Amino acid sequence: MARDTEVLVLGGGSTGCGIARDLAMRGLTVTLVERGNLTDGTTGRMHGLLHSGGRYAVSDRASATECIEENEILREIAGHCVEETGGLFVQRPEDSDDYFREKLEGCRECGIPARVLSGREAREVEPYLADDVERAIEVPDGAVDPFRLCVANALDAENHGARVETHAEVVDLLRDGDSIYGVEVRHDSGPGKRTHATPGTTEEITADYVVNATGAWAGQIGAMADLEIEVRPSKGVMTIMNVRQVDTVINRCRPKGDADIVVPHETTAILGTTDEEVADPDDYPEEGWEVDRMIDTLSELIPILSEARTIRSFWGVRPLYEPPGTGTQDPTDITRDFFLLDHADRDGVSGMSSIVGGKFTTYRAMAEEIADHVCEKLGVNASCSTADEPLPGSETIETLEAGMDDFGLRSPVARRSKQRLGSRASEVLETEKPNPVVCQCEGVTRAEIRDAISQSGSDLNAVRIRTRASMGNCQGGFCCQNMANELHPTHDEETVREALDELFQERWKGERHALWGEQLSQAMLNYALHATTMNRDRDPANENGDVDFAAFDGGRSGRTRVDGSRRAD
Amino acid sequence: MSDAEQPTDDGVSGDDEFEPIQVFPEAEEMDLRPGADNCYKCSTCDTNCPVAEVDDEFPGPKFQGPEQWRLKRQDDQDVDDSVMKCSNCMRCDSACPSDVPLSQMHNTARGEYVEEQMEKLSREYIRNRILANYRRLAPLGSMFPRTTNFVMGLSATQWLGEKVLGITGERDFPEFATETFREWWTKRGGNATSKKRAQKARAKRGDAQVRSDEKRIAYFHGCYANYNTPEVAKALVRVYEHFGYEIMVPDQHCSGTPMFANGMLEDARRSAETNVRELRAAIADGADVVASCSSCSMSLRQEYPELFDFEGTEDVAENTWDAVEYLRVHEDLEGELEDTSVGDEFDDFAYHAPCHARNQGLDGQTTDVLAAIDGVDAHDVGDSCSGISGTYGWKAENYETSMKIGAEMFDHMEESEAKTGLTECPTCSMQMEHGTGYEITHTLEVLEAALVGDATEATAQ
Amino acid sequence: MAIEDDVLVIGGGIAGATAALAAAERDVQVRIVSYKQSTLRNASGLIDVLGYTPAGDGPLADPFEALAALPEGHPYERVGSEAVREALAFFDEIAGDAYQGSHTDANALVPTHGGTVKPTARYPTSTAAGLASDDRDALLVGFETLPDFEAPLAASHLEATGAPFAARGVTVRFPGIVRDDAKITRYAHLLDHDEAVETADETRAGEPTAREALAETVRSHLADEARVGFPAILGDDRADAVRADLADRLGVDVFEVPMGPPSLPGMRLEDLLYEALEAAGVRVTTGVPVVEYETDDAEASATGPERIDRVIVDRNGAEIPHRADQYVLATGGLVGKGVRSERERVFEPIFDCHVPHAADRYDWFVDDVFGDQPYARFGLPVDRDLRPLDAVDDPEFSNLRAAGAVLGGYDFAAEKSGSGVSLATGYVAGRRAAEGCR
Repeated sequence: MARDTEVLVLGGGSTGCGIARDLAMRGLTVTLVERGNLTDGTTGRMHGLLHSGGRYAVSDRASATECIEENEILREIAGHCVEETGGLFVQRPEDSDDYFREKLEGCRECGIPARVLSGREAREVEPYLADDVERAIEVPDGAVDPFRLCVANALDAENHGARVETHAEVVDLLRDGDSIYGVEVRHDSGPGKRTHATPGTTEEITADYVVNATGAWAGQIGAMADLEIEVRPSKGVMTIMNVRQVDTVINRCRPKGDADIVVPHETTAILGTTDEEVADPDDYPEEGWEVDRMIDTLSELIPILSEARTIRSFWGVRPLYEPPGTGTQDPTDITRDFFLLDHADRDGVSGMSSIVGGKFTTYRAMAEEIADHVCEKLGVNASCSTADEPLPGSETIETLEAGMDDFGLRSPVARRSKQRLGSRASEVLETEKPNPVVCQCEGVTRAEIRDAISQSGSDLNAVRIRTRASMGNCQGGFCCQNMANELHPTHDEETVREALDELFQERWKGERHALWGEQLSQAMLNYALHATTMNRDRDPANENGDVDFAAFDGGRSGRTRVDGSRRAD
Repeated sequence: MSDAEQPTDDGVSGDDEFEPIQVFPEAEEMDLRPGADNCYKCSTCDTNCPVAEVDDEFPGPKFQGPEQWRLKRQDDQDVDDSVMKCSNCMRCDSACPSDVPLSQMHNTARGEYVEEQMEKLSREYIRNRILANYRRLAPLGSMFPRTTNFVMGLSATQWLGEKVLGITGERDFPEFATETFREWWTKRGGNATSKKRAQKARAKRGDAQVRSDEKRIAYFHGCYANYNTPEVAKALVRVYEHFGYEIMVPDQHCSGTPMFANGMLEDARRSAETNVRELRAAIADGADVVASCSSCSMSLRQEYPELFDFEGTEDVAENTWDAVEYLRVHEDLEGELEDTSVGDEFDDFAYHAPCHARNQGLDGQTTDVLAAIDGVDAHDVGDSCSGISGTYGWKAENYETSMKIGAEMFDHMEESEAKTGLTECPTCSMQMEHGTGYEITHTLEVLEAALVGDATEATAQ
Repeated sequence: MAIEDDVLVIGGGIAGATAALAAAERDVQVRIVSYKQSTLRNASGLIDVLGYTPAGDGPLADPFEALAALPEGHPYERVGSEAVREALAFFDEIAGDAYQGSHTDANALVPTHGGTVKPTARYPTSTAAGLASDDRDALLVGFETLPDFEAPLAASHLEATGAPFAARGVTVRFPGIVRDDAKITRYAHLLDHDEAVETADETRAGEPTAREALAETVRSHLADEARVGFPAILGDDRADAVRADLADRLGVDVFEVPMGPPSLPGMRLEDLLYEALEAAGVRVTTGVPVVEYETDDAEASATGPERIDRVIVDRNGAEIPHRADQYVLATGGLVGKGVRSERERVFEPIFDCHVPHAADRYDWFVDDVFGDQPYARFGLPVDRDLRPLDAVDDPEFSNLRAAGAVLGGYDFAAEKSGSGVSLATGYVAGRRAAEGCR
């Protein structure tokens, strides 16, 4: 029986998109389905660290070695998503000298370039480090934008013929006896680009082979075919600061623990994190003490953080896995390695493998290994080229950075835009039409918003992850509305209204965790703008037009009223 | 991007490998990104910007300040060139409801731009340097004031200024006084004379402590009152002596205002160092510092602590006062003015509060105080900016913008009944005169007329 | 020496200005000390009194009917509905022709830049021709370089509300604006001064003026609509003249659609209030914060509340004392920074007046962004004389009253009651302060 696709990838995170790109480049027909937006799961909920491997240099040298290899590859193939910030492992007086030494030795053994800086030298690099910092190890950590990297993978998969469906939730696995041959998905608004206010449909997609790359949700997918996959989801909080207090990744040099890293991420700095096992990756408590711990503990390294403004916090769920019977109690001890579960070997059910565990930095290597496995299953002989072919946006990154064209934009806006768009900058930004800045916090122009809309339909959250619009200090208070305006007239008014409401609510979700000081004032201003000035909270358009306009003031001149009578003053 | 190439793995710290280029000696203190934390995007600053209102090219203080800083990384060197369009009126500072250090951000960004991006041999740079360092040129001019006034007034000179240096030919250069304030002060006997006169005044006023050292001020006259309008400085001396204050006139340099505005932070630093040293010594001698120019007091009070950290910078800032405000708080100025009059010399005034006075919360002061004098009324001509903003309006490329900004003030002056202008800022005064042809005076001169009367120096001595 | 007045109002927004004006009606010397600029320019310039009940019922056609039913502690309940009417009448007198709506008790529905309609009691004359109960068809005009207002979208949205007229939107280029990031004050200034502009139309001889060119641009899009709405950028100082001129040239009524921050109608309202303050002889000191206060020990009785003797104004580190007999606190809410917060607490920064709030900051909000937000109600509780109350409901000070957004117990954004509360409480606080002077 002819299938719809050769390979069906479940999950639009870094792993799923990486696999889809890899297989599509090898010439297979690929379909990827994702429940929400690309990156909605764990990928979009990480601190943005491009590991040098330094973090694993003591506890897990195999991972460390793999990290430095992949780190170097990503700098080449995804230069426009990576910022080469460098990183420091910082030792405070109370931190162990032995561990510091082990870290340094570990780095050397794993091939991670590392050198020691004195406390004074470290403070010259990062002036806001605490005065009593003793010394630091400098390593090539970097910052990576997981959103754009993941989207670039999906885009390139599409360029190689793949079909990528977001907002397509798997509701069932299609199973014929001991063989899985596809899934049933529910499209939020019909297949293709998302359009709000459009009724959903369901679709069966059949495939020669299914790859379950849903990470922390892999167990839920498995359960649809009565397969048991022992994922142990572990949550971690990340707190976003309004500005970059540091321009280098700052790690605390001590064995393990909460709140030990600050990653400069685009315009912000991200504080992380915690590690706590949860039962359900979709439903777990998000608590204030976790945020407080980030600020209080990391202030020991960077005191200014205690007074600084946070703009939101978010939680991510790691898809940790350990083979049955290992029995690790503390989730921080569970390996960060990944596992490929071939359900044919493991459960006697053919047609599907599941991927669990793993980490963002090595997503490409994981994808390569899985793609090899799929090819073997399908009897295809094709080799991987993802380590050599640049992702869309990074093809001519050097010439771009040397280029002087500012596209008529103010220089910091131009710089930011070019960094985000990479080699696509002129294609997107060169326009004869007015190109005002739509998101002022992040310096995102109309042209860039419209480019994202052309990729993702009416989904403003998808626009957000492509452009960073609404991710700055006003958290969308001032630009949500303007982003939504750009949807018109491609999308009708009702669609725009729903899309706007969804984005505004999504922004609030994270901002709730930063509600004190400046951000509470900001929240009140945002609320006043949307509720008072625009009356969006009680929009009569949402209430089916049952407002009696004739009962209200029609003006002093006694205009004709709706019923045709003249109003008596 | 800080470290694309990783150092070798030698594990030893190497001092020589680490030589970050520091534009400013305290580069780390110049990082104002955290200042962006206070911004919540309300744009109040933009609506107060007199330049953005008349010039599309200027993107407004919100962009120049918190947005640009937030978009920056430590080593980004691409301050947008529009920062040079800022006139440094500092209205955005007092507008911001959320305490964003806007003018500090502008001053610093401008400093970076001039240092890193401006071509040092450009006409613009040389011109700005000349305008910023008025104090260095002024002594030459005032050595031969009549010759200088004559030469500066020649149309050929103005043509040259415009063509060669980009200094507008539309304006008349300020005239140099035939005797500077400091020359007058020395001739008059300096501090010793002032001490005697103050004692006499205290005796006459029935002050309990005739020999008290407490009533002592150090006068920061600034360049303009020294070289161009010594009558303002003399008025200050007489008014303060009237209240029994002994006056010291410490050595001093330019306050730095024109240098900040031109991004010449190094020049400003040198001047500030002298000023802080001298004024701090005066404070140690028991004096408070007063200034008659609102930009000078602004600079000492706000910009110094924001931009420099010489020993005593804070001390000087905290002990510096506007000359009228000081009397208002330390003396019963309004009580003293009750029932005084100024005769025919002055009538009503069209008063313009300089932006830099407004920024210090002094905008209502002059009208409040002068209302106590019989027959005098100072009509506030509104809260618009005069548009000249120190050296800004002298640049040929800004002249038109400057006059557009000033148009509102000119209109309001002409609508008012008064035929004399009044302000505390020397360059606002130039602009008022240039735009309306009115004679412009300084609040201290009115106070002098009311309190000291026609008593000329000769008879008083 | 302290700088002396009879009534000292801290804060210069609607509440502070109204308090000062109401006090100045009596024979007392009044001063306003305000730190930064008021939040008026963040607001639409509309005078909302009550558009929805605290329970969310509405839009209310008659706000006065609902005033009587407000819960205890709501600022309107504190001052009583008669005071609301008096304060509105007081405002009407100050505003003169600049505002409309006084001819009826009914609320008006004003189109917003988001395309919705909003109930309000008084509206700037510039918006009067745009009322949503007016059944004449409307053309909305937006500008390519102003992404805040998408006219065609707003027009569709207006129709979706069920408004009794057809609305259509067009987007045009604003003649004379060169940069895409020009500020709205630039647009207003161009029209105010009717500057000569360059247009793309090469067939035209000479340079038209901004108003001429704008009218020309819009005329080609005008069908048989009887009114044309623009985003609220039609002039600042000479807004009436700009609007009249455009209406003349187009032959139809012209109105403004209020916009978000920065708002020209809000700035015009501020100008109007400050002109009234000058005319009333109120002294105004701006740009300096009140940072401290001192009580009058001699006056403190064993049981009664303390009396404020003087407040200290900070001027770059120098402390300037200001003394008055009566004080009014009108420093605004969370946005105006009259109410501040830290991770553990919410507080009033000058007098440290009691601000009721949950101990856990996770109880300061609810998950629905437009839900019943506790943080929106942060502010001071007051007695019926508008004196702030401490934790056991005793007045904090005998001579301090509070007005406007610094008050708690109401959600102005949901109720659409911001300006109305500021007017009513400012009016009462100012009047009582003047009456209380010894």
